[in-house]
Amino acid sequence: MQRHTAKLKLAGAALAFAGIGSTVLAADGEFFTEAFRDIPTPPEFHVELTDLDGPVFADSAGKTLYKWPLHKLRNGYSGEPPGTPRCHDEVLTVTAGLMSPYPPGIKLPELDRRLSCVDLWPPVAASDDAEPVGKWTIVERDDGIRQWAFDEQPLYTSVRDERPGDVIGGTTRRYGGDSPAYRVPVGPPALLPPGFAVRSTSVGRMLTTDRNEAVYAYGGDTATTTNCHDACLENRSPVLAPALARAQGEWSLLERSPGIRQWVFRGRPLYTHDLDTGSWSQQGSDAAGWDNVFTQKAPAYPPEFTVQTTIAGEVLADSSGRTIYVYRCGEDSADQLACDHPQDTQVYRLAMCGGGSPERCGEHWPYVLAGADAKSINRSWRVLSIDPDTGRSAVEGEQGTLRVWSYRGRPVYLFGGDKQPGDVYGDGTGEWRGQRNGLKAFWLRDDFMDGIL
Amino acid sequence: MGRAPLFIASLLTVACAGVQADDGRLRDGTIAYVMTDLFWSVYQTADGSQECPRGFNDGPREQFEQLFPAHEFLSVEDTQLRQEIETWHPTTEPDEFEFLEVEGELSWGLDLDGEVGPNDFTHPDGSPGIDNEVYRAVGCIIGFRGPDGVEFIFQNKAILDRVYNRMMIELTGVDDLENDDAVTLTWYRGMDRLLTDATGLRVMPGGTQRVDRRWGESLIRQTRGKIVDSVFTSEPIDELVIPWMNLNVPSIQLFRDARLQLDLTGDGATGLLAGYADVDTWYYQLIRNDSTHHLSNGQISGISLYKALRRLADAHPDPETGENTAISTALDIKMTQVYIARQARNK
Repeated sequence: MQRHTAKLKLAGAALAFAGIGSTVLAADGEFFTEAFRDIPTPPEFHVELTDLDGPVFADSAGKTLYKWPLHKLRNGYSGEPPGTPRCHDEVLTVTAGLMSPYPPGIKLPELDRRLSCVDLWPPVAASDDAEPVGKWTIVERDDGIRQWAFDEQPLYTSVRDERPGDVIGGTTRRYGGDSPAYRVPVGPPALLPPGFAVRSTSVGRMLTTDRNEAVYAYGGDTATTTNCHDACLENRSPVLAPALARAQGEWSLLERSPGIRQWVFRGRPLYTHDLDTGSWSQQGSDAAGWDNVFTQKAPAYPPEFTVQTTIAGEVLADSSGRTIYVYRCGEDSADQLACDHPQDTQVYRLAMCGGGSPERCGEHWPYVLAGADAKSINRSWRVLSIDPDTGRSAVEGEQGTLRVWSYRGRPVYLFGGDKQPGDVYGDGTGEWRGQRNGLKAFWLRDDFMDGIL
Repeated sequence: MGRAPLFIASLLTVACAGVQADDGRLRDGTIAYVMTDLFWSVYQTADGSQECPRGFNDGPREQFEQLFPAHEFLSVEDTQLRQEIETWHPTTEPDEFEFLEVEGELSWGLDLDGEVGPNDFTHPDGSPGIDNEVYRAVGCIIGFRGPDGVEFIFQNKAILDRVYNRMMIELTGVDDLENDDAVTLTWYRGMDRLLTDATGLRVMPGGTQRVDRRWGESLIRQTRGKIVDSVFTSEPIDELVIPWMNLNVPSIQLFRDARLQLDLTGDGATGLLAGYADVDTWYYQLIRNDSTHHLSNGQISGISLYKALRRLADAHPDPETGENTAISTALDIKMTQVYIARQARNK
């Protein structure tokens, strides 16, 4: 393992960094704590620490770099094969028919104000004298522009990202086969021993084995001693380190018995839970004294929000206990542009939430209102002003606008069909089980759904 | 009235075991079973000509082609989104398509209301008064017909595969698996994978299930029942919730006046779960789990089906509008014997 020594920026402030691994206080008061590997990087790029997706590469203005990986859809592929830019400066006018059962060739909505892929995803241009460095290469676009690529995937920024460290444009969260071909933030590899992985989830960057088994820590242990023996180990397995493993940075080793060494992360010996029924589980944290391990926790949600128990796990809820939902939308166009942001077309959302009627949307899927004094609390949870008649962003204070809570720049909603805490009757509403033009509950605990966090 | 072939099969099993029911797994007056199969009971003739003499219903693809033959001149709002709006905001207003209901007189199911009415079916064994209007609605939709209908395959498979759907029953106070006039039935959700043979396909009796009290406490129900000649019949449960996740959407079915009729052996139980399904819950369970694409593969038009369900609903009228909110139904159910392990709650 190699400690990070590259230039790193926190919320726009350039720092010379001699090593990441301890807690870092960012400009907005949040704590980020994920270490990453130092890899050769062109001078115009640096690493930003984000609150949802860990360390990501950014350009000189602090804008996060994204790739658009090839993604298999029902009737073909979208996204980009390695080394092949497919995001063009062309306003597409018809559907691609990539998602059954609707055919291709149908006119896309709001053509008079529709933008091109490049309008929304500017390619990261390489200067004439730029040269490849390590995994950083340069591809030539059809329009003649030289474009940076990482690991052969062409790179873009998002016009939705406003501040350094924003990842509004895309996510490293796991998404299913029927989801749109998302844009994915690109970052340096996590600083982990072989055999471990980190997964972005709704509750934080979860540390797992490379087989996606959640790892846990026991409150009775220290970095140098363990109190988990005999019955404590009945359903737990220490994560063992090979003979050649060495301590480094946040990682150390505990010799449980002669020759038997256990990995320790930030002073906490690590275990798996033998009774976990799925990947990225939290079941092992139900027993007293045990916790999942994260490289960084998810940013705090608004203080008035609550967590509710459902028959499928835990969800985020408003102050009265009603489940909170997020809206997801990706068009069936060749460029798979998003339609879930308040600056995107609202045609799809209004159709789904109210049959095209903003008034019915307000009844069926009301916004989660922020109080008059509520303020944005971090990059992920912010207060937005929304024009409820259009669903689009509005100027704060204008008559008729609503102050609403948003997550990743998108408003969150309640469902009119939920009557009591724990109801999740709105989950999966919309096209493709809520994955393409619909709503999903804000899950915080998943014991049944194959790791949807 | 249960399904005769299942009943006969059970009798043969009992006969092979030595006339008497195998009650070797009955311990301290208790035996439990875990659900392995569940699907809407559809009486089918070989070519469907008896129950669906005019054929089968069209699905979303066929309807789209008929509605929008020149879709390339139209917008997303006027085509795709129009259909999705109709799907997600359904109405009882007639659409452009004739809906083909079951026209036969025979159906599996139970007499739920104790009456023989003009809309009732006759059981294949000749018993009158069978209430099963869900069958009338879905019987001529190929996606609901076995053995290769998309819903028949995947909803049933989900019962087996998904722990979320792991419902089980426990019979207590059982003196004799053949005859006992006072038995207590309790529904729980389990939380473990099923015990299978080496192929992984056949569920074996003798497995163990822990009771899900972490997430499934609200699913627990209890009622009384009796066993007559190895057939267990329960009293109705006011509201039985069956968790039924097909494609990762944690949805439910809600049955009112729900009852079981099961042929019991020491190894398993087969028969019917019958009652009145809440119409809106029934519909949204279907379309939340299966997108229009999945429905298309079974020629299931959610738009047309919702209108049929509401039209055929036959119980629990809304006190304000008078419209029925529930529809009679029966489901084929198979269960395998398990031992229930009770454990302490966690933190």
